[in-house]
Amino acid sequence: MSDLLTGLLQESLSGIALGCIYALIALGFTLIYKATEVVNFAQGEVMMVGAYVNFFFVTQFSGMAGGLNGWVFTAALLGSIIFAVLFGIILDYIINRPLKDEPVFSIIMATISLAIILRSLTAMIAGPISLVPVSPFGDNTIKAGGVVISVLDLAIIICAFILMALFFFFFNKTRWGIAMKATSADAEAAQLMGIPVKQVYRFVWVFAALVGVISGVLLAPRMALLDTSMAYLGLKAFPAAILGGFGSIPGAVVGGIILGIIETVSLGTLSFHFVWIKEINDIIVWIVLIAVLMIRPDGLFGIAKVKRV
Amino acid sequence: MIKGRYDDENLKWIPVLILAVYLLPFMIKGATFSYKYYLYVLNIAGIYMILTVGLDLLSGFTGLMSLGHAAFLAIGAYTSAILVDQAGLPFELSLIITPIIVGLFGFVIGFPALRIEGMYLGLTTMGFGFIVKRLIIAFRDWTGGSAGLQVSKATLFGFTVSNDWNNYFMIYTFAIIAIIVARRIVKSKLGRAFMAIRDSEQAAQASGINIAKYKMLSFFISGMFAGFAGVLFAHTSNFISTDHFDILLSIYFIVMVLVGGVGSIYGAVLGTLFIVLMENMFIPLFKDSLTQYVHLEAGDFQVFIFGLIMLLFIIFQPLGLYGMWLKMRIYWKLFPFNPRKRFT
Repeated sequence: MSDLLTGLLQESLSGIALGCIYALIALGFTLIYKATEVVNFAQGEVMMVGAYVNFFFVTQFSGMAGGLNGWVFTAALLGSIIFAVLFGIILDYIINRPLKDEPVFSIIMATISLAIILRSLTAMIAGPISLVPVSPFGDNTIKAGGVVISVLDLAIIICAFILMALFFFFFNKTRWGIAMKATSADAEAAQLMGIPVKQVYRFVWVFAALVGVISGVLLAPRMALLDTSMAYLGLKAFPAAILGGFGSIPGAVVGGIILGIIETVSLGTLSFHFVWIKEINDIIVWIVLIAVLMIRPDGLFGIAKVKRV
Repeated sequence: MIKGRYDDENLKWIPVLILAVYLLPFMIKGATFSYKYYLYVLNIAGIYMILTVGLDLLSGFTGLMSLGHAAFLAIGAYTSAILVDQAGLPFELSLIITPIIVGLFGFVIGFPALRIEGMYLGLTTMGFGFIVKRLIIAFRDWTGGSAGLQVSKATLFGFTVSNDWNNYFMIYTFAIIAIIVARRIVKSKLGRAFMAIRDSEQAAQASGINIAKYKMLSFFISGMFAGFAGVLFAHTSNFISTDHFDILLSIYFIVMVLVGGVGSIYGAVLGTLFIVLMENMFIPLFKDSLTQYVHLEAGDFQVFIFGLIMLLFIIFQPLGLYGMWLKMRIYWKLFPFNPRKRFT
C-alpha cells in the first residue's frame, strides 16, 4: 500500500512540474485574454519558437565561449528574452492591430493561421532533424524521503510561481496593470481617461511572448528531443486555462497544476491498477474539461459575465 | 405583396451550372492525359463540400463554432464501414442510417453547447475531436485501431461504383442534393431561427424562439451533413485511418467556410473548391518552380502558404470569396455611381 502512496506522491510531484509548464502557457493565454479579449491559439507556437531560439543562442555562445558553462545559459536566456520582446511587438502589429474590431471568430482563426505559419516556418528554417536540447542543470536530482525530484523540475515550479506572483502583483498593484484592467473592461472609456490603449496592447503581447519564450526555454530540456510537435502542448494548455476560468491568473496556475497531476498520475501508477485508463490517458484532460464546463460554464475561477441588452 | 422565397435571386443559371458539373469530367478527359488525378482531387472537394455546407449551417448561420468537425466525418466513415462490411447492411441503407447516427452524436456535443459559449465551445468541440479519435482507436475490435480499416466499394442499386470516374458522378449528385437541401433550410423558418440566434440570443428568445431546441437542431443537421460526407468518404477512398481525421482537418474545414465567406452556402462551396484545388494543384506547381532556387521540405511549404493565405484573407477580405463576388456585382450594377459609400 505504501508503495502505491509513494508512487502517487512521486507522480504528483512530476505532475506539478508538468502542470507548471501548462500553467505558464495558460498564463500567456490569460494575459492576452484579460486585456484584449483575444484568444491566442499561437501561444504553444510562441513557446516552440522560444525553445528553438534559445537552442540557437546556446549553441552559438558555447561555440564562442569554447564550452558549456553557466554564463552561456545566462547569456542565451537574456538573448531569448530580448527576442521575446521584439517578437511580441511584431505579433501586436500582425495580429492585434488589423483585427481590433473583428468578431471573435475571425480573430481566433487569425491566431490559428499564425500558429500554422510559425510552425511551418520553424520547420522550414530549422530543418527536419530533431534537436537534442541541453539542460542547464544537468541530470542532478534531489532526494527527499522516498521521492526524487530533478533540479530542472524544481526550477520550473519555482519559475512558474515567481512569474505568477509577479503578474498578479503587476495586475493588481501597479499603474500599468490597472490601466490594462481598465482597457479590458472598456477600451474606449480607457482611452478617454488618458490611458494609452495602443501601448497597453503592445505591452500585453510582449508579456505573453515573454511568458511563452520562458516556458519554452524551461520545457525544452525536459523533453528528450526538440521538434515542432512541441507546439501541440499549447493545445493541451487550453483545458488548463479554461479550467481555471479564462482571465484569472491564479486560476490558470491552479488549472495547469490540476491537469498536470491528473495526466501524470493516470499515466503512471493508476494505469497499472486499472488497465482501461491506458486507453484514454491522453484524452482524460479533455474529459475532465468537458465535465467541468457542464457544471461551471465559466471555469472554476471564472466570473460569469452578465450581458446587458 | 409578400415576396416569394427566391424572388431576390436569379435561378435561371442553376440548371446550367448543374449541367456544367456533369459535363466537367468529359471536358477534363478531353483536355489532359492525367485526368484521373484531377477527378480524384475534385472528388475530395465534393465530399468536403457536403461537410462544409453543414458546418456553415452551424458556424455561419447559428454562430456556434465547431473545431471538431473532422470527428463527425470520422464517426460517419467508421459507422458506415462497420454497418456495411461487418453488419452486412446494403450501402443504400447505410446512406440513410449513418447520417442519423452521426446527427445523434451531434446532439451529444450540442448538449454542453447549450451552456457553453464562444471560444469555450470551440475548445469543447476540439476536445470532442480528440476524444473521438482516441475512442476509435480504443474500440479496435471493430475499427482496426490505429492500423486503419479497409472499406468495400460502394454499391448503388446493384451498380458497383468502382473508380474515380464513377465516384465523381455519385459524389457530385449527392453534393448537389446537399447544397439544395441546405439552401432550402436557410430560406425556411428553421434557417431564420438560426440566424436570429446568431445575431442576438436574447432578442431571439424574446421573439419566442426556443433557443435550446434550435441549437440542438443545428448540431443535429450539421452532424447529418458530416455523416453523409463520412459515408461517401469511407466508400470512395476505400481505406480509413484515424491519422486522417486530425485536428488540422477540422481547422481546414473552418478555413474553407471562412475563405468562402461565413454565412453563405455558395460561399462554403466556393471556399472548399478554392482550398482543395489550391492545396493539391497550384501549390505543388508553384513549389516546383521555387525549389529550383531554395531547398524546401515537402509538406512545410504547403502548410506555410496555406496559413499565409488564411491570414491575408482574414485581415484584408473578411467577407471571403463570396463577399468579393457580391462586391464586384454591386460595382457592376451601380457602374457610373460611386459604390464605395455602400460599404463601411
